[in-house]
This record gives sequence, structure tokens and C-alpha cells, in this order.
Amino acid sequence: MQNQEQRFSFTGTGSEYFRIWIVNLILTILTLGIYSAWAKVRRMQYFYRNTHLHEASFDYHGTAVAILKGRLIAVGLFAAYSITLRLLPPLGLTIALFIALIMPYLLVLSFRFRLYNSSYRGLRFSFVGSVKSAYFTFLALPVFTLFTLYLLAPFTHQRIKAYQHNNSRFGLSNFSFNAGAGSFYKIYFFTLIQLVLVVSLFAYAAYSMFKGKMAHMPREAIVGFVLIAYLLLIIASLLIVPYFISRIQNLIWNHTELGDHRFSSSLSARGLAWIIFSNLILIVLTLGLFKPFADIRLARYKIEHMALLPADSIENFIASEQQQIAATGTETAEIFDLDIGF
Amino acid sequence: MVKAIFYDGHSARQQAVTLGIVDGRLEMRGGDGVLEIPLSAMRISEKMGNTPRLLHFAKGGHCEVSNHADFESMLEGAGLKPQSLISRFESSWHHALLATLLATGFVIASFYWGLPWIAGIAAAKVPASLALSIDAHVLSAVDDGLMQPSKLGRARQQILTRRFNGLRNEHGLPAHTLEFRNSKDIGANAFALPGGTIVVTDQLVSLAGNDEEILAVLTHELGHVSEQHPLRQLLQSSVVGLAMTWYLGDISSLLAAAPTLLLQSNYSRNFERRADRYAADMLRQNGIAPSRLADILGKLESSHPAAKADKQQTSRIAEFFSTHPVTAERIRTLRGEATRE
Repeated sequence: MQNQEQRFSFTGTGSEYFRIWIVNLILTILTLGIYSAWAKVRRMQYFYRNTHLHEASFDYHGTAVAILKGRLIAVGLFAAYSITLRLLPPLGLTIALFIALIMPYLLVLSFRFRLYNSSYRGLRFSFVGSVKSAYFTFLALPVFTLFTLYLLAPFTHQRIKAYQHNNSRFGLSNFSFNAGAGSFYKIYFFTLIQLVLVVSLFAYAAYSMFKGKMAHMPREAIVGFVLIAYLLLIIASLLIVPYFISRIQNLIWNHTELGDHRFSSSLSARGLAWIIFSNLILIVLTLGLFKPFADIRLARYKIEHMALLPADSIENFIASEQQQIAATGTETAEIFDLDIGF
Repeated sequence: MVKAIFYDGHSARQQAVTLGIVDGRLEMRGGDGVLEIPLSAMRISEKMGNTPRLLHFAKGGHCEVSNHADFESMLEGAGLKPQSLISRFESSWHHALLATLLATGFVIASFYWGLPWIAGIAAAKVPASLALSIDAHVLSAVDDGLMQPSKLGRARQQILTRRFNGLRNEHGLPAHTLEFRNSKDIGANAFALPGGTIVVTDQLVSLAGNDEEILAVLTHELGHVSEQHPLRQLLQSSVVGLAMTWYLGDISSLLAAAPTLLLQSNYSRNFERRADRYAADMLRQNGIAPSRLADILGKLESSHPAAKADKQQTSRIAEFFSTHPVTAERIRTLRGEATRE
């Protein structure tokens, strides 16, 4: 069978994850937050082990101690910054600058940790990106983007994804990324158009409805109107944000390859909007207890819309994958993890 | 014998094997024959929902076991614990229910007691210059439209300021400044800002029957300033906002702001009561009856259409959940203070 599409599947369930989540939560509270590192390992393991591709699941190997170290470093840096900013503003700013300067390096360590501690069929992923390119991608480019009034933002976004995906490996195979900056600009452009349209529509509707009546209205009516406008704006943003997320994720994965094998992602903005919107409503109605169910629903939707497109048969893909004997960067990969999302 | 899948750690190949434990050693039978591994040279993962359990071997490679019941009885047969304590907690609904109750209790307790307590400590540590800059910021924001310069005469403003500044308090007075503003939108009102700025509207000045009523309201606001209520309120609502944003995720930070505003837009009943008590105490020291505050509170209530609803709202339950102290109750207390003299 040639080019048989292999879909990812997800078998986690809300009722199972709820129990893991609530036990994690209570132990985190009782240990004043220290258990959160162990909780993260369990959460990652639950999601990884329930993600399947061709009769095998993924696994997470991060150790709680490494995660705890990363969290202590992050908390320490943040505390040093916020305390000195109060007492000695110049020193506080120096610390902020210092954090900005070491951030790219910390990010590289964090990528190494995350990938090295992920595995599929017993083979580890790894990250081989250089620290030098990290400084260009995560420090020079964002600073430059600031000076161009964010005109460069889509380009920077493309460079970040290219840096991450071009430097990732599975066993001995390299990932590669081939989406150009142009396609990022297109998504940013259409997102901006939608945003402008929605905002001006609301502004116009509000203006024409309440033109000249504002002064005579009781205060409650004005407050009520502001609240309604605010709710409508949230609903609008719930439509625009899923559009952006789904288009970006599709773009990234449809242009990522592992060796000769390709991936596909087919999230729809509408489907994602429905999940996010209904999750939000249910979280509010259950005073937060729906959160673990919401996490599972979102993960399932994202994972099950992804597939691997093997260059030839999936069996050949499996057979050809080998583990590198000494994976690069493993010496530093186990030091610590920082929870910086990308 | 328990069925398992073996991965050697060098290739992605799967091998079907069966596992058994004999004399403290794991026996793995597969296509390549029998492999014996001492139990001390492997790590058995904890049970995690219905996901496969993993046996990581020290020499590399691992096994995945999906048949939980058989695997657990095999472990038990070999004298090992089938499940860790945490896994047992995680799979039991009784423990989940207990944990839910505990967590809910914790969240409620930290919202009602923990947060105000920490905000009180933090507020004392905020430098006065920072609090003053917040005041300047708020004033410049409201001066753009919500409020206009006061239409009271200069002399009238000076008299009120002088009388207010002339009030004594044996416990000392917090740093404060008085600002007059005209505002049709807000109506008769007075409020205190984190840095000690007290703003009073022209509408309140004209609503008051006499100057003592105005002074009564100002001492009430001074009570808020003295106990740093505005700053504590600001800190509390920022923490609640941050927590909500974190919990609901980045996408809904907009939504997170809404309940925060609703929850924290008014002082707690406790803050109002304390400010009332401060005002009553200070007024008495200056020979003014605390009932003056009750008088103006009554007038303020009938001047705001929103507050009218409060009057009918005598239900105890409604009062308990309301963050406003019901004005009628405050007035009763203040009149009580007056008769006690």
C-alpha cells in the first residue's frame, strides 16, 4: 500500500483525566506548589500515552526534579526582578535585561528537554538547534520586529517555527520545515481584516443605536449596554482566535516533513471555535470543574486532525527509524525544563 | 503469563512477548528466545488511567503492557505492590469527590480570607510614590469625560477643605488630599483612591443638607484611606484577574476580566463597615454626631435609582451574597452608635 495516510488518534477520556487532575490539584495545594512538578509529569504522560500513531503510543520521560529545578529558576528570576524593581528600580531593570539576554539560551535548553524526553516506539526525539541561531531568532528578530511596528511579526513567527522544526529529530531522521514567510503574512492579513471588520461593525451599530440618547439613559441601561457589547466582542474574538490558531497549525504541519515523510493537519476554524466556545461556557457553569474535560476535548480535536503521510509504506518508515547511539545535547537536556510555550 | 510489546530502543520495531516473574526475575519470552532480567534492573511505571504500563530496562529497551488486570495479579503474585498509592487515588471516584470538595473549600477560603490577608500585607509594602502615581493616572483618565472641573466657587471649596483638614483624630491621620469634581454621570458620590486622594462630586455637596454631612462622608472615605482599602482592593482584583486568565487560558483573557469586574467592583461589606466605624469614631471626637453619616447615606440611596432596589432587598440570603452592605443596615448601625452616646 502506497502513501497510506496514518491518522493520529487520542484515547484519553475526561472522566479518567478528571480524577488524575483533581488528585494532582489537591496534592499541589497541600505541598504548597512543590508537587506541581510531579503533576506535570503525570499530565504529560497521560496525554502522550493516549496519543497513538500506527498501533503505538508516545511517551514522556521528563523527571519531576528537572521540572522543579526549572520552576525554581523561573520563580527566582521573576521574584528577583519584581522585588528589586520596587526597591531599586535601576537594578530591577538590569535584571530584566539580564533575563532577556539569557532567555534564548534557556529556550534552547527547554526545547532540548522537551524533545529529548519525548519518545515514540522507544525512540527518542531530540533538538539540535544552535544557541547562536536561537539568539538571532528569539532576541534579535523580536527586538527588530518591535522597531518595525510589528510589520515583521509574521516573518518572525515563520523564523521561529523554521528554527524549531528544522532542528528537531526523531531517532536519526531530521524534521524539516518549508513554509515561506508569505503564507504567514497571508494568515496574519486575513486575521487583521476580520478583526477590523468586527470592531468597526460593533462601533457602527453602537453609534447608530444610541446616537444622541446617551445623555437621557439611566445609568443601568448604559452599564447593561456596555456589558452586552463586551460579551459580543468576546464572541467575535472567539471566532477570530480559532481562525488564527487553526490556520497557523495547519500551515505549520502541512509544511513539516520527517525525512521523506509528510504530515497533514486539517483543523477547521469553525470546529475549533465550537470546542473553545462550548468549553468556556461549561467551565464557567461548573465553576472550573469542567477544565480537565475541556483539556481532553481540545487535545482530541487537535490530535485527531493530524496525520502522517509516509513516503512509501508505513512499515518501511517504521523499519528505517533507528536510534542515534549518543543523542546530541543529552548532557544538557536533562538539567531542567522551563515551561515556556511555543 | 502476560502479553506485552517489546521495543529494543534501537529501532521502532515492535516484538510480541509474554512476561512472567520467577524468583525475583522477569522472564520475557519472544521470537528471540527467553530473556531474564532482575527486577532491580527495571523501572515499572505507575498506572495512569487506561494507558499501557511501561517497564523500562536499565540496559535499554522497554515493554508496554495493556492488560492491567493480568499484570497487576502478576505483580501481586510476586509480592510487589500492584499500584502505587497515587494511582489508587487517581482511579477512585470517592477520592476524586473528596479532593473536589477539598479543592473547592480551598479556593473559597483563599478568596474570602487568604487573598484579603495577603493583599493587606502587600498594600503596606507598596511605596507611597507608586500609590500616588496610580491616583494621578486614575484622575487623568476620568477627567477626560466622566468628570469635569468642579463648579463650586473657590471660596466654598476652601471652606470645606479647611473644615475637613481641621478635624482631629487621636489615632493620627493618613496622608490625603481632597479633590472636587463635577459629574452628572456619576451623580452624588465620593470615593478614595490608592494614594489617599479623596474625590467628592459637586452633586454630593449640593445633596447634603449641611456641611457636617459632607464631612461625615469625607471621614468615611478617610477610613478607607487609613486602612488602605483602595490599594488592597486593587491588589485583590489584579490577583483574581491573573488567576482567572491563567485558568481559562490565553484566549479568554477578555472573558476572565468580566467576572473579575463583577466580583470586585465594590468594596466588601467588611471594608464599608470598618470605614463607617472609623468615621463614627472620628466624628464623635470632633463633636459631630455619627448620625450625620446615616442622614447622608439615606439621601445618597434615594438619589441613585440603582440603590432603590436595595431597599426592597431585605432577604437575608441576598444580603449574605451581596458585596454591598445593605445601606439600611449600615444606617441602623450608625444611628445605634449615635444613641449609645
